[in-house]
This record gives sequence, C-alpha cells and structure tokens, in this order.
Amino acid sequence: MDNNTDFKDLWKKQKVNQPNIEELLLKIKQFKKAGLKSFWITNVLLIATSVFIGLVWYYYQPQFISTKIGIVVTILSMIIYLSVYSKLLSSFKTIDSDKSNQEYLLKLIEIKKKQHFLQSTMMNLYFIMLTIGIGLYMYEYAVRMTAFWAIFAYGITLLWFAFNWFYIRPKQIKKQEQKIDGLIAKFEAVNEQLTSN
Amino acid sequence: MEFENIYKTYWDRIFRLCMGFVNDYDVAQDLAQETFIIVWQKLDTFRNESSIGTWIFRIASNNCLRQIEKEKRFPKSELSMNIMEEKQQSFEPQIQFLYQCIAELPETDRIIISLELEDVKQAEIAKIVGLSEANTRVKIHRIKEKLTQKFKENGQ
Repeated sequence: MDNNTDFKDLWKKQKVNQPNIEELLLKIKQFKKAGLKSFWITNVLLIATSVFIGLVWYYYQPQFISTKIGIVVTILSMIIYLSVYSKLLSSFKTIDSDKSNQEYLLKLIEIKKKQHFLQSTMMNLYFIMLTIGIGLYMYEYAVRMTAFWAIFAYGITLLWFAFNWFYIRPKQIKKQEQKIDGLIAKFEAVNEQLTSN
Repeated sequence: MEFENIYKTYWDRIFRLCMGFVNDYDVAQDLAQETFIIVWQKLDTFRNESSIGTWIFRIASNNCLRQIEKEKRFPKSELSMNIMEEKQQSFEPQIQFLYQCIAELPETDRIIISLELEDVKQAEIAKIVGLSEANTRVKIHRIKEKLTQKFKENGQ
C-alpha cells in the first residue's frame, strides 16, 4: 500500500449515497422558511415591546420629562441590543464562502473577534441604558410616594440591577468569552497550518 | 451549468471530501447537503473567474472548516462514537482505515489530500486552499508519506 494510485482507488471506493434532488430541494425550502421565521420572531418581539411601552405612555400620561426620557432610553436599549445581535448573526450568514480556505479562515477569525468585542461592550451598554431608563421612568411615580416607599422602591430596583451587574453580567460575559476565545484559538491554529511549513 | 447537473456531477466528490474531513457518514451527508444549499444560494453570483469545480470545492472545504464551530457547540458524546464505529464495520476495512487516517490529520491537510485523491489538479488545489503551488506540492508529498507510513504500521 505504498502506491499513490492505490490510495486514489481506495478513496473512490467509499460508499456514497446520493440523495434524491427532490429531497435536497425540500431542505432548501425548509431552510428558507426557517430564515424567514427567525426574522419575524425578532421583529415581532421588537414591535410588541415598543407597542407595550407606547401603551403605557398613552394610558398613564406621564407628566415629567424624566419619565418620557426613561421610556425612550429603555426602548432604545432593547432595540440596540436586538439589532446588534441579529446583525452579528447575519454577518455570519453572508460570509463569503467561495474564498480560498486561508482567506475564509482569516474572515472567520475577524468575525469572531468582532463578536467578542461586541458581546461584552453591548452587554454593558444594554445594562447601563436599562438602569438609567428605568431609574428615570420611576422618578415621577416615586415623587408621589411617601419617602419610605420611594426609598424602598428605588432600593429594590437598584438591588436588582446590582445583582444583574455584579453577578449575572460577568458570568454571562465570561461564558461567552470562553466559548469565543476557544474558537478563535482553534481557527488561528488551523490557519497556522497553512502559514507554517 | 444548471443546479441539477452540478448536483449530480459533484455530489459524490463533495461527499467524499466531507467524509475525509469528519470520518462520520451522517455528519458528512449533512455537510454535503449544506454545501449544495450554499451552492444553490450563490449560483447567481458565480462568475467564471475560476472553474466551477474550484468554486464548489472552495465552498465545500470552507463549510468543513465551519464544522469546527459546531463540533465545539455539540461535542461528540461517547455514545454516538460507538454507534459510528458499529456502522462503519460494514465498510471494507482498508477504505475505513484510509478515511480514519485522513480524518486524524490536521484540518487543512485533510482538505488538501482529499482534493488530491479526488484528482483535482495541484494548481487548483493551491487556489482552493490559498497556498502557493510549490507549497501545495510539498504538502501533498508529506501527507502521502505520512499515510503510507500509517498503512505500513497497521500492516495493511
């Protein structure tokens, strides 16, 4: 078995089962549907959130400008978060898959690094905006409460945000970073195979 | 070329490339299907800058490289490994051994040797992978040596 043609011969003897083309076309159809579905889910979620907050605005008629700014900041934080995420996902789908392996690997590494940066930055921005938004939104109602209840309401809310900021957020970021760092390292190692001899 | 023709002409070759990369029949089948879905999506954008074969092999090998990410997400469990081995026992042991040896190579070497065994010209392989021709030739030579060595050790 030291002959080149023998390897080729063996290679081509591998059992192959070519599925019916109809089967593949069906898969393509499902694939298109799935893409459309996730597009709808993201957008419906966004619209529903905005409508909900819009209704709050309409029914409770906030008097203070702080409340209105709070509402806008809260909506904005969600919109930014969702749109950055869907953009990240689509950047993966549109990656040029007909480049050479080396160019493709470099692109994968670049996207993963961007994802790494965006995920932690976006997560921080999202939390900060949400905290500011809700803090501002609450002000109008807190002013109407007695001092005790106002402090109580703010206390609980801030405690909740502190828990998120100091516990949930770092944990989430760490988890994502570990995954992405592992992948970047792996892709870089594969790329190394091409650049070294 | 029409999609149906491409599919019929290239399915076997693409499947073997994927099989060389993962050495798992079901995963290879999925990878080949994904490749043709991408081909179907991108066929409009194909300009005759390269041959259609080079173009398709590029898509297929890149898709195999993407597979690395999925592997990280769903690591193979012991169980599925066992099932895999059982399934492959029906194949001729030599064929099975060749694919196993190839799947154990570094990722880019798997692609290079699979294309070579698929009778893709070395200049085309260089274009698919993104190496110089001289470099490709050296790599192919080394990989073949490695495979021959493994076959000798195994007494095949």
